[in-house]
Amino acid sequence: MALFLVRRLLSAIPVLLVVSLMTFLIMWLVPGDVSAEIGGTDATAEQIAQIRAQLGIDRPILERALSWYGNLFQGDLGYSYLLGRSVVDAVLERLPVTLSLTALALVFATIIGTLLGILAAVRHNSWLDQTAMVAALVGLSIPDFWFGIVLIILFGVSLGWLPTGGFVPITEDVWGWARTMALPAFTLAITQMGVIARMTRSSMLDVLNQDYIRTARAKGMRGPTVIFKHALRNAMVPIITVVGVTTGVLLSGAVVIEQVFSLPGVGRLIIGSIQRRDFPVIQGGLLVTACVFVFVNIVVDMLYGVFDPRVRDDR
Amino acid sequence: MHHRVTALIRLIAVSGVATVAAMAPAGAALAQQMGGELIVVQGSNPPSLDAMNTSSGASRNINMNVYETLYGFNENVEPIPILAEGVDISEDGLTYVFTLRQGVKFHNGDEMMASDVKASMERYRKVGATGTLLEPVANIEVTGDYEVTFTMKAPTPTFLEAFSSPRAPAVIIPEEDGAAEPGKTSLVGTGPYKITEYVPDSHVTIEKFADYSQDMDHEGMDGFGGKKTAYLDTVTFRIIPEPGAQVAALEAGEVHILEAIPAPAARRLEGNADIEIQENLQWAFGTLILNVNEAPTDNVKFREAVQVALNMEEIVGIAAEGVFELNHGWTYPNSIYNVGDIGANYYNQGDVERAKALLAEAGYNGEEFSILTDNSIPFHGRSAVVIAEQLKAAGINAVINQVDWPTALNLRMQDTGWNGWTLTMGIEPYLGPAAIVSTLTGARPHFVKNDPVLDGLYQELIAGATPEARKETFAKIQEQLYTYFGIIKLGDTGQLQATRSNVKGFKTFRFPRVYDVWLEN
Repeated sequence: MALFLVRRLLSAIPVLLVVSLMTFLIMWLVPGDVSAEIGGTDATAEQIAQIRAQLGIDRPILERALSWYGNLFQGDLGYSYLLGRSVVDAVLERLPVTLSLTALALVFATIIGTLLGILAAVRHNSWLDQTAMVAALVGLSIPDFWFGIVLIILFGVSLGWLPTGGFVPITEDVWGWARTMALPAFTLAITQMGVIARMTRSSMLDVLNQDYIRTARAKGMRGPTVIFKHALRNAMVPIITVVGVTTGVLLSGAVVIEQVFSLPGVGRLIIGSIQRRDFPVIQGGLLVTACVFVFVNIVVDMLYGVFDPRVRDDR
Repeated sequence: MHHRVTALIRLIAVSGVATVAAMAPAGAALAQQMGGELIVVQGSNPPSLDAMNTSSGASRNINMNVYETLYGFNENVEPIPILAEGVDISEDGLTYVFTLRQGVKFHNGDEMMASDVKASMERYRKVGATGTLLEPVANIEVTGDYEVTFTMKAPTPTFLEAFSSPRAPAVIIPEEDGAAEPGKTSLVGTGPYKITEYVPDSHVTIEKFADYSQDMDHEGMDGFGGKKTAYLDTVTFRIIPEPGAQVAALEAGEVHILEAIPAPAARRLEGNADIEIQENLQWAFGTLILNVNEAPTDNVKFREAVQVALNMEEIVGIAAEGVFELNHGWTYPNSIYNVGDIGANYYNQGDVERAKALLAEAGYNGEEFSILTDNSIPFHGRSAVVIAEQLKAAGINAVINQVDWPTALNLRMQDTGWNGWTLTMGIEPYLGPAAIVSTLTGARPHFVKNDPVLDGLYQELIAGATPEARKETFAKIQEQLYTYFGIIKLGDTGQLQATRSNVKGFKTFRFPRVYDVWLEN
């Protein structure tokens, strides 16, 4: 297991290198830089040149790249041009928001999606199956920014049950955190619920038709035991794969949700930095997001082993 | 006789005002309530709370409740003392002696002294976003505990006006922060509220400053100065980027003031008794800047054709969603510099035939007229679409190049590759003629290539000793702008703000003033 972990961690290095290199190249190709934000519309060409020189963004791309990687290997992601703080601080203070939003959305999507899928598989071809699958398809097709606004109007404005936006750290007030995170997490989860429900249904249908399930039922085992202990466990490998992919999708979907629900997360930080061309924050923010993504994938790979001993033995 | 009658009327009026004023405090004290927490919403994160270092409106909204300047503008955009008692200007215009108000406390408890002012001004010169406004000043000396003397390089009649600018205000901060790098001060000011919390992309909280020393020379607040009273315990500026979510938060009663509300939402809420809409029609000038360095806009006849082809009512009406006023002038109508009808015969013509005749005169051959615009400021993109359609109707091959804001700013700095650029000017028209004209002159005017006539008139404008002299020059400037056609005035655009109806005392202004504002019940 330890060897597997080391191997996976080592293979993550080229991935992160490519991500950071791509970011560097894209930001280099995009016209405009932070001098426009600092100088404003009335800045003269000399003032713009002076700002660029002060920040070092007038240096050749290769020189900037080498100095950035040099600092990276010392654990320094640079200093934001506009936020008055280091990139590490800026990202770290927002990371809990994005991670807790993604985690809660993942819990919603996995629990509701799996249950819907099981229900549809067990009551195959019934009205329950049809309804669950239509609900999954609707969830899959709804644009999340629109659904978010609808939920805000319904639960925030009309019913007044939940706040319309904002964020309360869990360390300050657990109930306040739950109230501010409920709507954004549910909105973020809704599309992925559909994906997980459909995957669970098809995976469960395969398993439910196997001989050992028939045997278990013939032995007189109770329905829930057969479904959750025998069938679901064996149907889990494809579901986990989808959940792993889902985590990545949720992380990127958080960008839109943070904007709609005014959550101060990494997504909003990166979007704001792109709009202002705050290069160090864009690069640092994307690198940290890529790290989280890679970490999630490693965890998913390890989970395969938990549910399927054959995978574990192969390692 | 006439003078005596006038004096009598004035006496009666003054005694009447005095009687009302003597009666007013009891009633006013009853109406205004202390305490409470106010929540103001704005769409953008303040890039910095170091007031002198940023000209961002999102920062100014917060900072102007926290920091103060020696001089600032009153309601009529005239310089008035705020942290200063006044200024003595020598007859030769070379010495400005500022006397400071005594007993003014910083948020850290220290008293503001002349050494703080000198340190603030020296820092402003180095890191101020508009530090060039101190360029006419040769030397700043502490000449007493409460006295600072500026020695000028040459007489600069418009210095006090420029010095009062709120764009990136020359605020007074403690001497200890004098050497702080941009964005790294202790965020201490002298204003009625002090900063207590800043969570980027989330909120900024400011708290009532108990030791605030009011300027008792005034009855109440006046523009950026006057007698300011902090009624609220705390004010939180929440950052909500999505306009739909902003309006929802206001309707749900979670927030009290929206710094800006989209016109369609404001119209929908008109009948809502819990919400009041405030309109500020003098928010910005909508303009179309032409690149006089690039064909076909290098030809003055072509530029004139563009001017006469445009129907401003349609352009600004659509782009500003109905919140606008037609105005051909380069000042607001109530400005002391308003020079009347000059140029009105060219404005809002929508005259396709006249435009076609001018195009023929210009020898126009269907070259591309590329309009640079952005999607970050809705007015820009929308106005570009209407302008392009109107120009096509006049036979101009108009195309739109829509990019994001930093890209637009980058492209417009290039001397070629664009012909028109849509730009709203917010703070410049508020600051007055010199601020607008300065963007059209100098090393690199907005329309790329210098107009020597305009450059000369700008020098004459800033050297004008009296407002009357400056107005006379400005008349010539407006005439020249309607001769050169390097920039086209589209119209005056407004801003709508919304408050919950229990917010009292709030008056729409260049920034949301949260002093002299209280919450009912």
